[in-house]
Amino acid sequence: MSPAAQAPAISNKARRDWRALLTRHEMLLLYVLIAEWLFFYFAGTSTNRRGVIVGFGTWDRQFDILRHSCEIGLLALALTPVIITAGIDLSVGSLLGLCAILFGKLWHDGGLPIPVAMGLTLGIGALAGALNAILITALRLPPLIVTLGTYSLFRGLAEAITRGSITYTDFPENFLFIGQERWLGLPTQAWIFISVALAVGLLLHRTTFGRAFRTIGLAPEGARYAGLPVERRLALVYVLAGLIAAIAAIIYTARLGQAKADAGTGYELFAITAVVLGGTSIFGGTGTIPGTLLGVAAIAVLKNGLACLPVVMRLNAAEEMSGLLTGALLLVALTASVLPKILSNLRPRRHTTTQSTPPLSP
Amino acid sequence: MSSPLLALRQLVKNYGGVRALRGVDFDLRAGEVHALLGENGAGKSTLIKIVTGAHAPDGGTITLAGQPVANLTPATARALGIACIYQQPALFPDLTVAENLAFRLDASAAHARVDWTARRARATSLLARIGAAISPETEVRALSMPEQQLVEIACALGSGARIVIMDEPTASLTQMEQHLLYAVVHDLRKNGVGVIYISHRLEEIFALADRVTVLRDGQSVGTHAVGDIDEAALIRLMVGREVAQIYPPAESIPGAPVLSLCGVGCTASGVHDVSFNVRAGEIFGLGGLVGAGRTELARILFGLTPADSGQITLKGETLHLRSPQEAVAHGIAYVPEDRRRHGVVLELPIAQNITMAVHQRLFPTTWLRFGAERALALDYIRDLAVKCAGPDAPGGSLSGGNQQKVALARWLATSPKLLILDEPTQGVDIGAKSEIHKIIRRLAQEGLAVIFISSDLPEVIGMSDRIGVMAHGTLSTILPGGSDPHTVMAAALGTAA
Repeated sequence: MSPAAQAPAISNKARRDWRALLTRHEMLLLYVLIAEWLFFYFAGTSTNRRGVIVGFGTWDRQFDILRHSCEIGLLALALTPVIITAGIDLSVGSLLGLCAILFGKLWHDGGLPIPVAMGLTLGIGALAGALNAILITALRLPPLIVTLGTYSLFRGLAEAITRGSITYTDFPENFLFIGQERWLGLPTQAWIFISVALAVGLLLHRTTFGRAFRTIGLAPEGARYAGLPVERRLALVYVLAGLIAAIAAIIYTARLGQAKADAGTGYELFAITAVVLGGTSIFGGTGTIPGTLLGVAAIAVLKNGLACLPVVMRLNAAEEMSGLLTGALLLVALTASVLPKILSNLRPRRHTTTQSTPPLSP
Repeated sequence: MSSPLLALRQLVKNYGGVRALRGVDFDLRAGEVHALLGENGAGKSTLIKIVTGAHAPDGGTITLAGQPVANLTPATARALGIACIYQQPALFPDLTVAENLAFRLDASAAHARVDWTARRARATSLLARIGAAISPETEVRALSMPEQQLVEIACALGSGARIVIMDEPTASLTQMEQHLLYAVVHDLRKNGVGVIYISHRLEEIFALADRVTVLRDGQSVGTHAVGDIDEAALIRLMVGREVAQIYPPAESIPGAPVLSLCGVGCTASGVHDVSFNVRAGEIFGLGGLVGAGRTELARILFGLTPADSGQITLKGETLHLRSPQEAVAHGIAYVPEDRRRHGVVLELPIAQNITMAVHQRLFPTTWLRFGAERALALDYIRDLAVKCAGPDAPGGSLSGGNQQKVALARWLATSPKLLILDEPTQGVDIGAKSEIHKIIRRLAQEGLAVIFISSDLPEVIGMSDRIGVMAHGTLSTILPGGSDPHTVMAAALGTAA
């Protein structure tokens, strides 16, 4: 089982109706994940000349998948509340890069102890999120455009600070422990990822904040008319996204042992893919953290599993294949999720057209 | 006598349980201006929607120049020469006047090369014909509302319409523009076009129309030549029904004032100099025509569009409401007019809709308590007799009346001091309507101050202890409950009664 599928409890209502639960988007995605995993287990595992099992079916490989999905997973967790409010944040990948090099600079050039540098980095992440929040809520600019702007801005700042060439390395061993070692049997960063998933999951599914996010996503005007603090809640999701991007930046630096300006390039798109694959509507209002976690897992298993297939290894085409299949997976999942609705709409429509012919009396 | 341009016979239209039209006859002759008059909700809009093909009738016949027409769609209506000029012009703001005209008039030539010279020439000549000083090169965005209306009229002319419908065309026009419009209407009439003219301004009807038909409760109550009838008789026709419904009577005497307004206004929403007070246990009705400023006033009181003049006092405390949160915190509740967009979130369960405004009180730690939420929702479902599958059913699964009860429950849960109800029975079937009336009266009896906005004249007269009548953005008079409908209507129309 992929560890990423260890999801927090599914919402209260669903627990009451198991039939609804079995056909929920999350369950469909879980079946896909299991099928995917079994396929790679049988097709991607082999025994080498010395009789040692290699490939997908090893614990090392499983932990590797988990280790590599933490950063994109965190960004997906950050984006789930944002997308539920019918917003978007394209800047999280760039912010990861900016936070990574600022963290490196604070420690290396600023001479600050690692914990202090970490704390400051988290603060910077939250501040950057607040910049998005102010532009979106106070100036009422569209989130897509605002974060497209900060997407370039944050990456540009990261590159300006390092002048495109500086890479911070030689981090101490006890810091690298976060990214490269195991703690209590799991890769250390997985514990951080699980904690954040729990926290965001509880926020979204168990508090009034989550309620407000959903209501804003479904009916922004309706939320205002209900007296909900729409602007403050919207601001919160963007600040939270910035904070989580900073956490991802620290984990990223610890995993690679270096902080570069191009850290996390393109991660925002993988994260959005995972969120949408996990059943969150891009139009807002619906989405769950378990779904997002399954989405992250489905993409991570696909990507790593492909690299273990002999045919893909021979062609040296793991990157290309995973891009192609991730895209296909997303499109199939989206189609599958709207298909029942379209099919059920078709019938009544035919029904009403026959009815609406005006019965003209003589 | 030649057959009329348009003849409607026994037209019937139902929306769910609401009978919008119940057997209306209507004639329009070539070269006449036929005014259509009636209260809000009398069926004028429905009639227009049927004639323009937007809605199909449930019964009756439509005859155009002697030819019966079945299956009228917006496209066929246009092809048959029916044009409608709405209050809110539906033009493309980023295109020029000439482009907008071309878009409407050349719909069939989608793949042809664009002949810019011809477009411009036609636009110029059409605009000249109605005497509008608008350049065809102007972007519609830059035009005022009346100018846009003139473009719509040019469009109707250009399409060679034989029937032109004008829905309150002068509502937003200045005096001069009105005279321009009158000239256009006379010009249309001279050219043998039939004009259906909808207006609330009686003097306009007497100045322009040849005949007038009054609709009331989805029925035609008479067609008269304008020369044969006077203003008083028209008002009588519009209102003159027996109050068929029994309204729950007030049994207690209102207490101390809860809300006082003194010269309240808001430039942005066109409300000015509104002064009145509402007492505990009182239902204060707000009557008037659509656009008189009633919803705008409610939005001011709920902090949605802050007032920029005057003083609002609630239980002795002067309020400067800047947002709905502030209004809610002070104990003001507003059940909005647009139930489906603002009142109820259709996708969310009933329980969540009911608890939406009491998050802070019900979940003080921000931690959701599903049991408490369910219990509260069940209380209100039982108390207001909401017909539903249960508290988990989505708001969208309910009928209009039950959605309204859910919207009401959300605000009752806040234990407000002042409850503002904006058209609470609009689009609600007769049974639910009288249930809602009883609930409102009961709430007032329990000491709540209620502002009751309704466009249904008998309803607002029957329900209210006092009636504030609004006209043109301000409160014109305050009348006692149970007043003569003619007096109320005259005040709403702004004519001295």
